[in-house]
Amino acid sequence: MSDFVSLERLTLAYGKTVAVEAMDLGIRKGELLALLGPSGCGKTTTMRAIAGLLTPKSGTIQLDGREMTHVPPSKREVGLVFQSYALFPHLTVFENVAFGLRLRRASDLVARVEAVLGTVGLQDLADRAPAELSGGQQQRVALARSLVMKPKVLLLDEPLSNLDARLRLEMRLELQRVQWETGVTMVFVTHDQSEALALADRIVVMRDGRVEQLGTPEDIYSQPVSGFVADFVGFETIRRDPNGDGALAWRPGAVVLGTGPFAGVIRGVSFAGEKNEYVLDSDLGVIRADAPVGFPTHAPGEAVAFDLPRDAAVRLERFD
Amino acid sequence: MNSRFAQWAILGLTLTFLIGPFLIIIAAALSAGNNLAFPPQGYSLKWVIKVFEIESFRKSFGVSMLLAVFGTLAALVLGVPAAYALTRYRIPGAEPVRLVLSAPIIVPGIIVGLALLRYLVIPTGVTIMLALFLAHTALVLPYAVRVVSASMENLRTDIEEAAMLLGCSRTGAFLRVVVPNLRGGILAAFILGFVTSFNQVPVSLFLSGPGVRTLPIDMIAYMEINYDPSVAALSALLAFMSMAIVFAAERFLGFSRYV
Amino acid sequence: MFENRTEGLALALPAAFFAAVLFILPVGILLSEAFRVGGNWSLTGYIEFFSNERNQTVFFRTLKLGVMVTVVSAVVGYAAAFSIVGLPTTARGRIFGLVILPLMISPVARTYAWLVILGRTGFVNKLLTTLGLADAPIRILFTETAVFIGLLQLFMPLMIISLVSAMENLPKDAVPAARILGANWLQVFTRVILPLTREGLVIGGTLVFTGSLTAYITPAILGGSKVLMLETLLYQRVTVANDFVSASVIAMILIVMSFSVNVLLKRMATARRHR
Repeated sequence: MSDFVSLERLTLAYGKTVAVEAMDLGIRKGELLALLGPSGCGKTTTMRAIAGLLTPKSGTIQLDGREMTHVPPSKREVGLVFQSYALFPHLTVFENVAFGLRLRRASDLVARVEAVLGTVGLQDLADRAPAELSGGQQQRVALARSLVMKPKVLLLDEPLSNLDARLRLEMRLELQRVQWETGVTMVFVTHDQSEALALADRIVVMRDGRVEQLGTPEDIYSQPVSGFVADFVGFETIRRDPNGDGALAWRPGAVVLGTGPFAGVIRGVSFAGEKNEYVLDSDLGVIRADAPVGFPTHAPGEAVAFDLPRDAAVRLERFD
Repeated sequence: MNSRFAQWAILGLTLTFLIGPFLIIIAAALSAGNNLAFPPQGYSLKWVIKVFEIESFRKSFGVSMLLAVFGTLAALVLGVPAAYALTRYRIPGAEPVRLVLSAPIIVPGIIVGLALLRYLVIPTGVTIMLALFLAHTALVLPYAVRVVSASMENLRTDIEEAAMLLGCSRTGAFLRVVVPNLRGGILAAFILGFVTSFNQVPVSLFLSGPGVRTLPIDMIAYMEINYDPSVAALSALLAFMSMAIVFAAERFLGFSRYV
Repeated sequence: MFENRTEGLALALPAAFFAAVLFILPVGILLSEAFRVGGNWSLTGYIEFFSNERNQTVFFRTLKLGVMVTVVSAVVGYAAAFSIVGLPTTARGRIFGLVILPLMISPVARTYAWLVILGRTGFVNKLLTTLGLADAPIRILFTETAVFIGLLQLFMPLMIISLVSAMENLPKDAVPAARILGANWLQVFTRVILPLTREGLVIGGTLVFTGSLTAYITPAILGGSKVLMLETLLYQRVTVANDFVSASVIAMILIVMSFSVNVLLKRMATARRHR
């Protein structure tokens, strides 16, 4: 399958600080791709470059077979939902959404704006000012404002991070529904692995301006390539493989408590429904271990043996 | 109870000191007598009417109005882009530029007026009116930059980027989403600049020529010769004009937020 | 932040160029005049200026009045600001508006009012003679007192405004907390209010002090030729004697003073914040 968006040897910099270095990435038509990584890894910079808000130092960006590297943002047909939403404070919801269509002098403007407001469930708030809306509503306006332009690619910057837990779930479903209904290619930036795993068709894990791993959520979750990715997707214990050049990683649930060759002292325990979550101090460092409810419990300060079974570990290509 | 009383006593005395003289001016302006005095000898509107009959006041009022309006507009034309550049761009030499732009606040107006007279008007022969216009523009410029910068800082940068992604050019984004949201700040800067320029004395002290004088200078000149209440009447009228402008500004856009 | 430097400079340069050519250049030439007396670079202009006794008097009077106005503004300003901040919101807005009001009125008008009040046949003298406190009208106009009063009224609002905004940022319970801990009012002021509002005091002080130093209208109208301050002296030297060397020296004094006060006080204010 040929890529809908392709970045080749893309190098991005702010002044002399290089943020992204020689990055290659292909994005498929109609997929929902997540750019995942800690802050400063270059994910937002990459997104801004795709939008045309940042001119690459070198490398190229192609979109739908067209060379886009030096095309201004206004001509790219790329939508961006900003983290802060960036609504125009002086315009109503309707006019915010109609903004781009007015510039194009679209003849079916009213119908299209009303349709998209309906899609995001804001038809009743069309005459409100942005300041009168809740955060979740503002984000829907921002989404509608981008969608109404029928962009080839829709970029979303941390779309869920400013919402509370309930709205977050709602917005997840909403984004999936929008993508399913419109078939638009979506790229979203996040530092939250659970968001990326839940939403994306494919995930790009970024680190220090490079692609660390690219794969489906299942790949990333069960077969991280490095300690960095493993740590990101919930492997708490990562050790060098004594019989090879890779590393081994365990999730807290894979650590066996009460028996084994290692000794530790319980530092704390918290009850989490179907399991107890322990934190241990040991010679191997701090270990997190989950034990299902029903197993013998341990109190803080108690010395306890534990095991890191080799057959429960995931093999990583690299330790760090 | 006691501190309540102290509080109002302090406020009463302070406000009497600050506003009292202004009330006395109004009373003196309404005097029926021929000399400046308080309490006035009877009340009449004759001095208020006289103000409009004094030819030189009419002329210098026109000069001051022109200067205040066009000087402030020119300062905004220069100052808005500068404020935009200083708040939105990472530019080399931003600090020296800031310093140069704030210089007119630090340098006393009388010196500027003298310097312009001696090194601009006399050698190049430009008209006094042009020199006054340039001096007032320079004088208002720092206020324009400061007030507009302040309201620019309250405006998120990403709305311009959003506008560009929706099809605006760089300039289009500035005009369509930045300027409309700066309207309040620009208007506040205009009013502040207008009042500053209109009331300005020292800059214009040396810059006066045959038939070209700003109103405050003309008032001082008149006072030196006459001791009648017409200057009081004019002062009161001007004060009401300023108050009306500021009141309207506060009412419609919360002016004091910007100052 | 946009990265395009050329674009940014293109936007900022017209204003900077305008200010540089119309402001800094002519003022710079004027300042250089005192160093070029008789065609040679020297300090003669300065030496002659400061060896003149009248110039010394004017110089020290200007400084003295500047300090006095600043100090009295600060004292009254604290009392007034404290009273304003303690008001309920609507009353506070109205009173604050009344404090700002004089700033919008022409200084000529404001100074002129004092002629009516302090003049020989003015309000104060009438009051004094009517009450029998004085046999004949006393001389207030054209004294340092008159100039002081005029300057105080002109610049005090700036101090009050700065202090009010500083006090609005004071933690709400700081004063009651200090009272509960046993501080008396003087201690509350010196240990809590003063340190927390120092920045406002510094800003207000700068505005009042430099304003008083560079005032022209007030000394011109209320002081006349008897009570000259630096700016009125400058005007007199130029118009009466065509003495541009003295003008240049005075210009330098005023610029150096207001610039250094600005820099010094700004540093004092920020030094605290970073501690």
